[in-house]
Amino acid sequence: MKLPSSPGAWLKVVLPWLLLAVLLLLPASGLSANLMKLVFITAVWTTASVAWNLLGGMAGQVSFGFAVFYGIGAYTTGILMHAGWNPYLAFLVGGVLAAAASFLIGLPTFRLRGPYFVIATIGVTEAVRVVMNNLDITGGSGGYRIVEDGPFRPLEHYYTALVVVAMAVAISAIIAGSRFGLALRAIKQDEDAAADLGVNPYYTKLKVHALAAALVGIAGGVYARRAAFFYPGDVFAFQTGISILLMPVIGGIGTVWGAVLGGVIFGTVEEELVANFPNIHLLLYGSLLILIILFEPDGLMGLLRRLFRRRREGPGSPDTDKVLWGSGRVEGREL
Amino acid sequence: MTFSQDLNLLIAALLLAGIYAVMAVGMTVIYGVMKIVNLAHAGFLMLGAYFAYELFERFHIDPLLGAVLAMPVFFVFGMGVHWLLVRWLPKSDTPTLASLLLMFGFWLVLQNIAYIVWGNEDRSITTPRTLSAVTVGPISVPEVNLIVFAAAAVCLVVLQVVFNRSWFGRSMRALIQNPYAAQIVGVDDERTSRLTFGLGTAFAGFAGALLGMIYSFSPDFGRPFLLRSFVIIVLGGLDSVSGVALGAVVLALLETFGPQIRFHDKYIMPDSLQPALSFALLVVVLVIMPKGLASVLSRKRRLT
Repeated sequence: MKLPSSPGAWLKVVLPWLLLAVLLLLPASGLSANLMKLVFITAVWTTASVAWNLLGGMAGQVSFGFAVFYGIGAYTTGILMHAGWNPYLAFLVGGVLAAAASFLIGLPTFRLRGPYFVIATIGVTEAVRVVMNNLDITGGSGGYRIVEDGPFRPLEHYYTALVVVAMAVAISAIIAGSRFGLALRAIKQDEDAAADLGVNPYYTKLKVHALAAALVGIAGGVYARRAAFFYPGDVFAFQTGISILLMPVIGGIGTVWGAVLGGVIFGTVEEELVANFPNIHLLLYGSLLILIILFEPDGLMGLLRRLFRRRREGPGSPDTDKVLWGSGRVEGREL
Repeated sequence: MTFSQDLNLLIAALLLAGIYAVMAVGMTVIYGVMKIVNLAHAGFLMLGAYFAYELFERFHIDPLLGAVLAMPVFFVFGMGVHWLLVRWLPKSDTPTLASLLLMFGFWLVLQNIAYIVWGNEDRSITTPRTLSAVTVGPISVPEVNLIVFAAAAVCLVVLQVVFNRSWFGRSMRALIQNPYAAQIVGVDDERTSRLTFGLGTAFAGFAGALLGMIYSFSPDFGRPFLLRSFVIIVLGGLDSVSGVALGAVVLALLETFGPQIRFHDKYIMPDSLQPALSFALLVVVLVIMPKGLASVLSRKRRLT
């Protein structure tokens, strides 16, 4: 393994492990129930965010339909646990089923250029929610309840979510530095050129879609087990798909840590805002989305990077001007 | 089911197709010229419905007149949106991530401003006309649907004329066919785009007001229609106006007759699954004829 060369690079390697260690040890120091729930929810959202980023950020395929995989994970876990399965096995099966569902959207649309995939992802959420509302096995629109024996074990849920999010981040980080990650970036930039260089865009997109779907499915299962009650208007909602998309965009599209940052901020803010101002928060996210696209397409990560660079270079550097005069710069820029 | 019932359904489906066509056409011109999938279309539809509603409630203006008034208002609004947001987007032959997310963000903003202004309860525009029906022999048609269809048809014809006969329409067609060549021969890309975005928004506002005359609406009104618009323009081949009319007819027929299909005297599809039909149609179309219905038809014409 290559050793990092600068203090900044050291920080990049050490920080994630430090964060993980702190989160793992935190319950030992007596964490309040509320805070534990907050970390749990944030970890689940972050998993989804990191998974979306694999497909949307790295390969450039925007999906509004991740709620489908989240819901499939939730319902699979619920139904299998009801049948007496081990919950962890149920999470995995949920992930596999979500990956299988991803082919339903990907097979017809990834072959084509143009906006077909995006359109299909908007449609599939609507269609699946309607179907789920009317299926017998899911209990219809009334929702589904998971009954577990024994007392409620917040610690187990806490650690499960942490393991899942760590797994998602690790997979993302490995992919980002791998051949597969390069293929994804090539597809994002130019599919024809990627195909000329020996990347099969169709299979690559199918693969990464399935992987992302599996991760989101597992996250959905983990969420469902703790929530113990869920319904199609919640886990399969279009709103859920929107949330999953907003996180990596806010944090910084295309980078693993941007997706993590977005997930953490979104999870924290969501818990506080949703309860108090249900409409304001989407208005806020919409405006934020517009501002990010127009002025800082790299999201918060881009902003941070620029702030740090500016401090090093001092005032009056070309970058400062860009911060102040953001417009005009966007033109011709590929996101 | 009797013949007259079938006939009634058929007429209802065709009337529905008219409004679907107007609803989708605004999105089609914007996609054709700028290659932007206008997700904010749903927001414009919703605002159109509330526009007619407010005019009716406050000034007792007939919603049909309200729909006509919506056109210039939304035209200016759309040009404003283009000037403020859309023109900064990178130009591209295919929809970019940036354009999708920008229009989506704008939709979220519109939707949630509407939640703040009007709350989340369903509204409807009720005029003396709402409940009356026109009856000819065995056929009975709600009067509102007829009026809405007529307005939609007139509007489409006007658009077709603008598209084919005016200088602006010619620039639009040039940009749709080949943006680079169009600019070389002197089409003002920026100005045409701005006008097109205004036009698309105007049609969305108009269609929204018409839809508001038939259905009840809430700030989330546009979403199911957004998907239908997509399906229609995919059926029509993404950038042709006549294709849109064809796609609208197919979708309306499927949505009307789909729940009526029976097998051994049992309905195969429960009514509640109807919203999933448009998605099913989309997938089938993408698998069988990715270039849309219009392309299949025009290929046949060329061969014979």
